[in-house]
Amino acid sequence: MLGPGIAAYLILSVVLFATGAFGVLIRRSPLIILLALELMLNAGNLALIAFSRQLGNGDGQIFALTVMVVAAAEAVLGLGLIVAVSRKRVELDVDKLTTLSG
Amino acid sequence: MTALAWTALFSPAAAAAAIALLGNRIDGRGAGLLAAGATGFSFLCSVVVFFDLLGRQPEDRSEVSTLWTWLTAGDLRFGAEILVDPLSVFMMLVVSGVGFLILAYAIGYMAGDEEERRYHAYKAFFVFSMLLLVEAGNFLLLLAGWGLVGLSSYLLINFWHRRREAVDAGKKAFIMNAFGDATFVLALFILAQQIGSLDFDTVFAEAPEALGEGSTLSVLVALGLLGGAVAKSAQVPLHTWLPDAMEGPTPVSALIHAATMVTAGVYLIVRSSPLFELAVDVQDLAGILGAVTLLVAGLVALVQTDIKRVIAYSTMSQIGYMFVGVGLGAYGASLFHLMTHAFFKALLFMAAGLVIHALSGEQDIRRMGGLARELPWTYRAFLVGSLALAAIPPFAGFFSKDAILSSAANSGSLGWILWSVGIVGAFLTALYAFRLLFVVFFGEVSAFAREHLHRGRFEGPVVMLWPVAVLSVLSIVGGFLQVPGAWAGVDTWIDPVAESVEEASGALAVFSILASLAAALAGIAVAWAFYRRPGERPAYIRRRFPGAVRTLEHKLYVDEAYNLAFYEPSSRLATWLTRRIEEPLVLRSLGGLGIGVRDVSDRVAAAQTGRVRGYVLALAVGLAVLAVVFLLVA
Repeated sequence: MLGPGIAAYLILSVVLFATGAFGVLIRRSPLIILLALELMLNAGNLALIAFSRQLGNGDGQIFALTVMVVAAAEAVLGLGLIVAVSRKRVELDVDKLTTLSG
Repeated sequence: MTALAWTALFSPAAAAAAIALLGNRIDGRGAGLLAAGATGFSFLCSVVVFFDLLGRQPEDRSEVSTLWTWLTAGDLRFGAEILVDPLSVFMMLVVSGVGFLILAYAIGYMAGDEEERRYHAYKAFFVFSMLLLVEAGNFLLLLAGWGLVGLSSYLLINFWHRRREAVDAGKKAFIMNAFGDATFVLALFILAQQIGSLDFDTVFAEAPEALGEGSTLSVLVALGLLGGAVAKSAQVPLHTWLPDAMEGPTPVSALIHAATMVTAGVYLIVRSSPLFELAVDVQDLAGILGAVTLLVAGLVALVQTDIKRVIAYSTMSQIGYMFVGVGLGAYGASLFHLMTHAFFKALLFMAAGLVIHALSGEQDIRRMGGLARELPWTYRAFLVGSLALAAIPPFAGFFSKDAILSSAANSGSLGWILWSVGIVGAFLTALYAFRLLFVVFFGEVSAFAREHLHRGRFEGPVVMLWPVAVLSVLSIVGGFLQVPGAWAGVDTWIDPVAESVEEASGALAVFSILASLAAALAGIAVAWAFYRRPGERPAYIRRRFPGAVRTLEHKLYVDEAYNLAFYEPSSRLATWLTRRIEEPLVLRSLGGLGIGVRDVSDRVAAAQTGRVRGYVLALAVGLAVLAVVFLLVA
C-alpha cells in the first residue's frame, strides 16, 4: 500500500471537521454556514474513504457517495431557503432570524 | 276487573304524558280539562271495580294482577303487579274522586298562570303516583309510588319557582320525606332478607314465622315503616315541612297536603297491619305520636295568621287522630276519618282558595273580616267545612272522629289516655276552626277587603264553584256511611283486609259521644266569645301569657331546634372542612401542581431561543461529552 498511513488522513479529517464546526458556530451569514456544513460533510467523507482503503472493501466508498447525494440535496434546499429569505428583503443574519423561538 | 284497575292507574299518567308531549299545541284550559277528565275516568273505573268487588263474597274480594316481572335480583323477583282488594279500592275511590274535583277546581284557579300546562301535567302525574301507591301489589312498587308522590309534591310545592320561600319549602319537604323514605327502605331490606319476597301476601303470611312476634327484627321493621309513615303524614317529629308546603298553589294544598298524599302514612300502616301487630309497642308508639301531633298542631293552629297555615295545622292534627286510630287497631275508623277528612279538608282549602282568589292573593287573616256579606256562598261552604271539622252532628267529621274516640275508649289504659287527648283535641279543633271562620267572615268588612275585593257575577268562576258544592254535600252526608249502633259500612268493608278492634257500645259509647260533642261545643263557644268581633280578649290573653303565645307563634321552636341540632353543626363542620382541609390540602396541592408544571415549562421554553448557533453548540458539546464518556467506558 502506497502513500501516507490512515492516521494522516484521519488527522486531516478532524482538522477539516473542526474548521467546519467552528465556522457554523461563529459565522452569521447563512451562506457561509452552509459552506461550513459542506466542509464538515466532506471531512466525514474523507474519513470514510480512508477507512475503506485501509480495510480494503468498498462499503465506505458507497457510503461516501450517499453522503454526497444528501449534501447536494441539502445544498439545494438551503440555497433555496436563503434565496427565499433574501427576496423578502430580510437581512441575512441567523442571529436575527429568531421568530421560531418558543 | 283488574284491567279496569290498570286503566284507572294509567289514565292520569297518559294525560300527564300527553300534556307534556303536546307542548303548546294545547292551551292551559285544554290541559286542565285533559288532566281532570283522565282523573274522572279513573274515578269511573274505580267505581266499576268497587261494585264488582261488592258483588262478591267478602273473602273473594282480593285479586292480584301481574303485568310483567319488573325486577329480578338473584332469587328476588318483583312483578309490576297490583292488588285489588277492599282497602286499595277504598283508597282509589278517595284519591281519584276527590282528585277529580280538585283538578276541576284547579282549571279555574290556575287560569292565566303562565305555566298552567306544566301545573296540570304535574297534577295528573301526582294522581298517577298516588294511585300507584295505593294499588301496588308488593312493597317495592308501593315504595316506587311512595317516592313518586314525594317527587310530585316537591315539584308542586315549588311550582312558583321564582319565589324563594316556595323553593325552600319544596326542598324542606323533599329532604324530610327522604328521611322517612330511608327508614322505609331499611325495613324493606330486612323483609327481603328474612322472607325473600316483598309481595304483600307472602310477607304477611310468613312474617309471624320469619320475624317472630315481638322480636327485635319485627320491631325494627315496624319502626322503619312507621318512620316512613310519620314523615309522609307530617306527624311529630317530622312534621315541620307541611305548614311550609302551603307555599304551593291552593289546589295543591287541597289535593296533596290535605286529602291524599299526607294520608299515605295511614294507608301504609293499615296495609302492613299484620307487621305492626307483630310489634305491638311500635303500634302503640304510632298512636302516641298521633296524640302528640294532634295536640301540638291544634295548639299551634290557634295563633297562626295565614289562612292556609291554620288549615295545614288542622290537617296535621286530624291525621293525628287517624294515627291514634291505627295505633289502637281501629283501622276502619281511621280510614273512615281519612275519607271524611278528605272531603271537608279539601272543601276548606277550596273555600279558602275562593277567598284568596277574591282578595287577589291575600292570605293573612288579619286583613280579612266581614266577608260573609260579600261572599255568602263561600261563607256557607266554609261553615259546612268547619262544622264537619269540629265534629258537630250530622256533619261528616262527627261520625268518623267519634268512631276513633269510641274505639279508643274501648282499648284499655293507653286507649283512655289517647281518648282524653282526643277530647282535648276536639276542643282545640272547634276553637281554631271557628276562630278562623269568625275572623275571616264575621265583624266589619276590613279596609283591605273593601279595597281589594273583586267578584264577578258569582263568587268565582263556575268551574271552581261546582266542585266546592259537591264537596259541601259530601261533607254533610259523607258521615252516614257508618252510624254508631246502626251500621258500620267502612268497618265491614275493610275487615277482610285489616280487622278493626271493637268499638265501645252502650253507655260507654254514649258517654264518649257526649264528651266529644261537649268539647266541640265548648270550643265553638269560646271562639264565639273571643273572635266573633275584633275585641280586647285575644289581646288580653296575649298580655297575660306572653311566653306561651310566643312559643306557639314560633311553632314550639321545633324549626329552631332542628336548625340548631342538625343544620348548624353540619354547616359548621362543612365550613371547617372547607377552611382546614379543602383549601390548604386539596386546593393548594392542585393549584401547586398547576403552578409547578407552568414554571418548568417556562424554563424549558426559554431554552428555545431561535438561535441556531445555540442549538449547534449544545449539540457539539453534547456529542463531545458522549464521546468522552464512551472513550472512558471503553
